[in-house]
Amino acid sequence: MKKNIYSPFEAVVEEVRQETPTIKTFVLRPAEPFVFRTGQFIELTVPGLGEAPFTPSSDPGVKDIMDVTIMNAGLVTSKLHAMNKGDKVGIRGPYGAGYPLDKFAGRDILIVGGGVGLAPLRSLLYSLFSDMDKYNKVVLRYGAKTPTDIVYKDLIPKWEKKAKVDVATTVDVADVNWRGNVGLVTNILRDAPVDVKNAVGVVCGPPVMMKFVALKFLEMGLAPADIYLSMEKNMSCGLGKCGHCRIGPFYACKDGPVFTYEQLKELNDIWD
Amino acid sequence: MDIYFLRTPNLARFYERIAHDYELFVPKKTDAGPKIKCEHGVNLPADEYLLNRFQDVNKDEIVFNAYRSIEPVRSFFTHLKEQVCNYFNNKEIKPGKPVAVSGVKNCDLYSLKIQDFVFLDGNEPDPFYKARRESALIISGDCPAFKESCFCRAFDINPYADEGFDFNLSPIQEGYLVDAASQKAKSIAATMKDILVPATGNQLQEKADGRERAVKKLDEHLSKHKIPKKETLREIVLAGYNSKVWNEQMRTCVECGGCVFMCDTCHCFLLFDEESSASAKRMRIWDGCLYKNFTRVAGGANPLKMRYMRLRNRYLKKFDFFTANMGTQACCGCGRCIDVCPGKIDIRYILRRLHEEKHIQSI
Ligand SMILES: Cc1cc2nc3c(=O)[nH]c(=O)nc-3n(C[C@H](O)[C@H](O)[C@H](O)COP(=O)(O)OP(=O)(O)OC[C@H]3O[C@@H](n4cnc5c(N)ncnc54)[C@H](O)[C@@H]3O)c2cc1C
Ligand code: SF4
Ligand code: SF4
Ligand code: FES
Repeated sequence: MKKNIYSPFEAVVEEVRQETPTIKTFVLRPAEPFVFRTGQFIELTVPGLGEAPFTPSSDPGVKDIMDVTIMNAGLVTSKLHAMNKGDKVGIRGPYGAGYPLDKFAGRDILIVGGGVGLAPLRSLLYSLFSDMDKYNKVVLRYGAKTPTDIVYKDLIPKWEKKAKVDVATTVDVADVNWRGNVGLVTNILRDAPVDVKNAVGVVCGPPVMMKFVALKFLEMGLAPADIYLSMEKNMSCGLGKCGHCRIGPFYACKDGPVFTYEQLKELNDIWD
Repeated sequence: MDIYFLRTPNLARFYERIAHDYELFVPKKTDAGPKIKCEHGVNLPADEYLLNRFQDVNKDEIVFNAYRSIEPVRSFFTHLKEQVCNYFNNKEIKPGKPVAVSGVKNCDLYSLKIQDFVFLDGNEPDPFYKARRESALIISGDCPAFKESCFCRAFDINPYADEGFDFNLSPIQEGYLVDAASQKAKSIAATMKDILVPATGNQLQEKADGRERAVKKLDEHLSKHKIPKKETLREIVLAGYNSKVWNEQMRTCVECGGCVFMCDTCHCFLLFDEESSASAKRMRIWDGCLYKNFTRVAGGANPLKMRYMRLRNRYLKKFDFFTANMGTQACCGCGRCIDVCPGKIDIRYILRRLHEEKHIQSI
């Protein structure tokens, strides 16, 4: 029998970084070099317990190690959060279509993240940064619940300093030390310095947040075909076979997880 | 064409030869009730058939099933629960002896096309399905009769097969016509010259007449059910998204999952892991969209949180998703979901309602 599509290969946890009280970034060293395109996802196995889908948050240009940023949300993720350096996990993938970087060339790229939704966008940012001549500019807008809930606290200031990159962060609820924006991420979108005629909008976050950002993008004048959404669906196989992740005529695991609003706009109840 | 005549007393020998090289399953009558009168006043058989392991049945219990079996034929190709990997070692999971399944009907063959689309096409073929499917021997048979719930012809699927089988059996006077279609079947037939004799022209005519009679009777019965044409299915389920029929019909659904498990065209599954460390293994079990947590995500959000949404989802998957992706609906009209449902939810009724609503709305 040839390759078994259900078999994970081994990876070792090389480092664990606490991002927020509920989010950790795991640095994994796969048994074999791992190639993925930004926006593609993996199925991560906790041996004996099960799998869950995650989008690598590291630079796709780096093949021997991979970061995955994970929120503690349930069975598999709480077990992952209990893991330490040296523990073993399993990986299947990469799956899905990822971001079509070719279509971003020569454009203003407006990227909006919410909470742990910045994870896949971090990998997108690295892909863009590695080839900045190709793009007009990158504008990142990030929202978190409170200042403590911001991920990549030490990385965001570095991104801000890059040429042709504009970054702003906001929190729903401030604390005493917070000097930045307060309010929903949609509030800091209107003034985003992009030429809407030549912009693409990318959003990843909780479903309600994606809904309101997508509507905001439309209001700003972005074309439905230039709005990229990361659809979170229950998944099991990641292979377009198990049937769990259907959205209309698509499977999120195979045709997505990144979709344009154009692809989804005629479908019923996409935000549920 | 290699078509032979097999006398009834020799059927057991035909099976014995096949059982030599295959794990053979044959039809057995499990329930022989008196005829029932359907809601339209037609007298119809109430017999039930199961496909049992040849070794486990008395030879005199083997029958020719007049219509499809209780169990879906897909159960021979993906198992209800099975191991699909041993984790990090890509150690081969030994495929068992190849199966031969007799008593397969044309609706089942249509369903296998759907299963092939899921498990063989797409990004990567499923190695277990592929191994079983390629090594299997399919022995189909014409349907001289039909069950109350059968509605294959409503979707232009005939109660006899023209393709997709290795052997096909057509019942005629004193025996069967055996069509050896595949290379596999031809070489098996070549070893059975003692019991297989070339069919005569009269016998071929008898087979054709039998088929024609079966179609006519079934069409007559189905005309009373007014099931929408297959070309309209996608349109009516999409137009009927907000139809009241979902809410009305789901009231008697007890979420047993019978409809999805008995369905020959359903295919959904769930991967889960068992045990830990060295002996850890990954299992695959059949799953179904009528279950509450089928689409639940972390944090508790669930796009199909209400029963009516899940009922509707099953129709959207079968008639929208599959029509869009495969060009044909994922329903063969076998009626297994009708027979199994304790809530008496009837796909024929729902489709008719959707069709009527669409029709009335467009006036
Ligand atoms: C394409 C994709 C990429 C993702 N990337 C990330 C990421 O980078 N970081 C991150 O923190 N989270 C990510 N998620 C969400 C993450 O997969 C869920 O938080 C995780 O599945 C929860 O698993 P659990 O066992 O801890 O939760 P539980 O609620 O205990 O889940 C139990 C079971 O429900 C199913 N399930 C629950 N939620 C989801 C879900 N959202 N998607 C699929 N199946 C689910 C699974 O089958 C799981 O085994 C992503 C989800 C998808 C679909
Ligand atoms: S068989 Fe009937 S009661 Fe059972 S899940 Fe299906 S629709 Fe509901
Ligand atoms: S939906 Fe019902 S009639 Fe159609 S294939 Fe499935 S079990 Fe048969
Ligand atoms: S996760 Fe199995 S079909 Fe998409």
